[in-house]
Amino acid sequence: MIEEDPEAHELTALHAVWTPSAACRVLEIGAGDGRLTRRYINEVASIIAIDPDADAIADLRKEFPHVDARAIGVDALTLPERSVDVVLFSWSL
Amino acid sequence: MVDALRRARRLLTPDGLVIDLRPTASNVTVEVGDRVTGFVDGDAAYRRHAAAADAIASAVADRLFSIAATTTFDFFTYGDSIEELRDYILENWRDTAIAGDTIERTRAVARASPGVRPRVREHVEARRLLSAGPLTSDR
Repeated sequence: MIEEDPEAHELTALHAVWTPSAACRVLEIGAGDGRLTRRYINEVASIIAIDPDADAIADLRKEFPHVDARAIGVDALTLPERSVDVVLFSWSL
Repeated sequence: MVDALRRARRLLTPDGLVIDLRPTASNVTVEVGDRVTGFVDGDAAYRRHAAAADAIASAVADRLFSIAATTTFDFFTYGDSIEELRDYILENWRDTAIAGDTIERTRAVARASPGVRPRVREHVEARRLLSAGPLTSDR
C-alpha cells in the first residue's frame, strides 16, 4: 500500500508558515483529491479548491461536499478581486 | 508562473497572503531505510520546479510579494515494494520514472533489509508571501 508523508512533515511545515484562522477564506490551487485540504479544512471559514484533474476534484467534492470544488486550471478561474485571504499553491506553481 | 502569482495577487485582500508548497529542483532519491539506492528520473519535472523558483524570485524582484517565512521539509512516499512505488509514480507523477537499474538496486537492498519499506524522498519548500506595494502596480 502506498503511504504518503506518514510523518506529517507537510502539515508541520504548513503550520510553520501559516496559522489558519476561523475567518479565513482560502483558494487552494492544485488541490487534487484534497490530500492537503483535509489537513486544514476544519480550521478555516471557506475553501475554493481548483484542479484541472476532473477525477481528483470529483473525489474531493465527494469527501467534502461543502467545499467549492472546481475542475479548472487557474487560467479559467473567475473570482472577484480581493475576495480571498489566502491563496495556497499546493505543489502547483 | 509569474502570471499565476499576479492573478493570485489580484484575488487577495490587501492583507492577504500566498502559501507556496513546492518541491525543490534537487534530486528525488529512492531509499531503503537510510540507504540511497538511486534517483527518480525526470529532467522536465526538475526544470519545472526550477522555473517555479525563478518565478517567485521574479515576483519578489518586481515587488509583487515579499517573502515572510520559508521552511523546508522531506516528503516521503512509501510502498510495500519498489515495483509498487514505480507504478505509483508512473501513474501519478508528471514526467518522472524510476529507471531499471535503480529498481534492481532497490530490490537487492530491500531483500537484505526485511521489514524496511522502500521510499522516495522529495525535498520540499514551504513559503509565506505577503503582498508588497500598491495593488494597481501589477496590472
